[in-house]
Amino acid sequence: MNGARLLAVASKEFREVMRDRVLFLLTFLMPPMMMLVFAYGMSQDIEHVPFVIVDYDRSALSRDYAYHFTASRYFAFQGYATTEKAADEMMAHGDIRFILIIPERFQARLLADRSTEVQSLIDGTFTMPVRSIRAYIEAIGVEASGEMLREYTARHSGVQELPEPFRVEVRYLYNQEVRTAWTLAPMLIMMILIWTTPLLMALSVVREKEIGSIYNMYASTVSRAEYLAGKLLPNVVFSSIHVVILFLLATRYYGAPFKGSLAAFALVSLLYVISLSSLGLLISLVARVQQAALLMTIVLAGIVMEQYSGINTPIADMTGFNYVLAHLFPVMYYADAIQIAFLKGGGFRELGQDVLALAAYAVATLLLVHFLFRKRVRA
Amino acid sequence: MNSELHSPWDHLRIWVRQMAALVIKEFLQLGNDRGLLIFALYSFTGNILLAGGNASLELNNANLVVHDGDHSAASRELIYRFRQPYFRLVEEVADTRTGMQRVEQGRAMLFLDIPEHFAETLRRGTHTASVQLLVDTSRATRGYLASSYSVRIGASFSQDWAGQNAGRADSEELIPVIINQTRIRYNPTLNEAWFNSIGELLVMMTVMCILLPATALVREKERGTIEQLLVSPLSPFQIMFSKVVAMIGVSVAGVALSLLGIMGPLFAVPCRGSIWLFFVLTALFAFTSAGLGLLIATFARNAAQVGMLVLFSVMPIVVLSGTFTPRDSMPPAVNAIMVLSPLRHFIEIAYGILLRGAGVETLWDSALAMLALGCLLFGIGLWRFRRQLE
Repeated sequence: MNGARLLAVASKEFREVMRDRVLFLLTFLMPPMMMLVFAYGMSQDIEHVPFVIVDYDRSALSRDYAYHFTASRYFAFQGYATTEKAADEMMAHGDIRFILIIPERFQARLLADRSTEVQSLIDGTFTMPVRSIRAYIEAIGVEASGEMLREYTARHSGVQELPEPFRVEVRYLYNQEVRTAWTLAPMLIMMILIWTTPLLMALSVVREKEIGSIYNMYASTVSRAEYLAGKLLPNVVFSSIHVVILFLLATRYYGAPFKGSLAAFALVSLLYVISLSSLGLLISLVARVQQAALLMTIVLAGIVMEQYSGINTPIADMTGFNYVLAHLFPVMYYADAIQIAFLKGGGFRELGQDVLALAAYAVATLLLVHFLFRKRVRA
Repeated sequence: MNSELHSPWDHLRIWVRQMAALVIKEFLQLGNDRGLLIFALYSFTGNILLAGGNASLELNNANLVVHDGDHSAASRELIYRFRQPYFRLVEEVADTRTGMQRVEQGRAMLFLDIPEHFAETLRRGTHTASVQLLVDTSRATRGYLASSYSVRIGASFSQDWAGQNAGRADSEELIPVIINQTRIRYNPTLNEAWFNSIGELLVMMTVMCILLPATALVREKERGTIEQLLVSPLSPFQIMFSKVVAMIGVSVAGVALSLLGIMGPLFAVPCRGSIWLFFVLTALFAFTSAGLGLLIATFARNAAQVGMLVLFSVMPIVVLSGTFTPRDSMPPAVNAIMVLSPLRHFIEIAYGILLRGAGVETLWDSALAMLALGCLLFGIGLWRFRRQLE
């Protein structure tokens, strides 16, 4: 490996990005833009769930009962619907997520000390929030019902103003208010890099193949390793700058607390960036045209982020093939490292396992790339 | 040449023949690249299969540690209610401090702390008897579920206790309680495979429909083959629209493949509305997205730029249109901007037709919005393309 030749390749790559002004601008605008977008879009706060009420009773008690739902911060009341059919229509269009139906004789039955039923219909299309919505509906329903019951008990036992008998006080560890933006912002570093880091790398070799300038390299004295390292270096530098930008955004703008060792986290991040760049390089060798390389990178990034990063489905809950695949991508280890470094305050010792995994990943991918790359035209 | 060639009918015939030739050229270009073809095929089949097969987001056996400072019948009753399938009691600890440590070490997700005199407070009823629950929320979704389930358990415990106090717990019919029957519509068993596979399909379609035409157009610019097309008797409209037609073909075929080949037979994803309506609107979505892709291509000079620009637009579209998080949990300003996203309208249509069984009478406004958006995007793209060539 000759350092001078390596640097020559690297500086050529550098210049190519720097001179393409549009590309240069986009390269540095991308990470902050994506962080903003993701922070909005992936927030899993379940609040302001839109709903309507169909009140067939229209009595004082039914309004009391409805009030418990309309006043809740979890739900956003969209008004009374006159019929179930009208409410159905709204749900089919995706405008509301649940319908509360209060039947006739609601008040009459309660005043006669009889139990009465109301119905909640939840839209099950978006499965993720449904369980929480159902739990909140039930909790609010029970609370409203409990109030009525206490009045009843008070009436019968002659005691005035009984307090609520029991309550679970929930406290959150690591994340006092379950601000999802908090937990999310550090994870976003991982996710955004999946998209931005391999992209330009994936184009680098295939572009030369397509234009034909790769023949210069085939005929030159530059060795395969020097050429690949020279391609890799600028991308790693750019991506490391991305990491810094994203880290500052996460901690300063979103206020995510960083409790761990900065040096350890920097090392893990560097290894992650190298792993992703090697992945991009691999795509670049496999693809024949830039169009295919772009498609592979973007689709792969999307798949990996959604399915194997452990963000949507915890790795521990995965089964069979998916579990194996999750271990074959570098994201899982970096996600774990972020959790440890940000929330749990880990240093080199705690991060050791992830460092090793990522290092092994980078080395293995680079060896594969080196093996696949030939200074010959494929027949 | 004969003179009849000047009739409008002949012009149309020639125009159609030219279009057909161009569309065939686009298909050949896509088909000739084996890597591209394999990857596109995988996106619509294997990928959907894996997305649908992924495990659920349900809270399963969340590890629970308990400190029971009361050791009464009431406290045991409460602990018993935190049970499987959601929670799993892994350990009973001697004091509060150890319990908190277990959560911090990551060995438990929840710690339930029941104070002394818990049963007595409950019995007296002059104060609220409260217990503390510590939840590890480093995974926010599961944290949410754990806390909402706990609140539900607490509420029902509270109600039962109040009922017992009223002394007539055995005859629920005779005390004035309101029973809230919750029912889940459209996907009553909360089958995650339905939601995951449909969501994945929508994302794949968006990426392909924007990326492929954009890169195809830029490739012609980069290689200079666009000049050849321009000196031929083809209009810029034909050059651009043939790419749209090819994309419509690819996405309808891809959707048919994953819907009828994977999602239907393997995950039993229903199609409760008209499947033909779904295909027609899929074509419309492909037109609108391809229009966006072509517009993007008019801003780019090379593949790297187009890749960045596509990412720049696909990312917000996929994330903010409401594919995986429902639209209503996003800020109103974001929702207002997202009216410009083809996917936002198509999400309503796709979930509407497949799961909610909606028809044209419910979805016409989304379809119309998508059509208008498509014409607008394609129109601007065409205008820019023409201007660049002059």
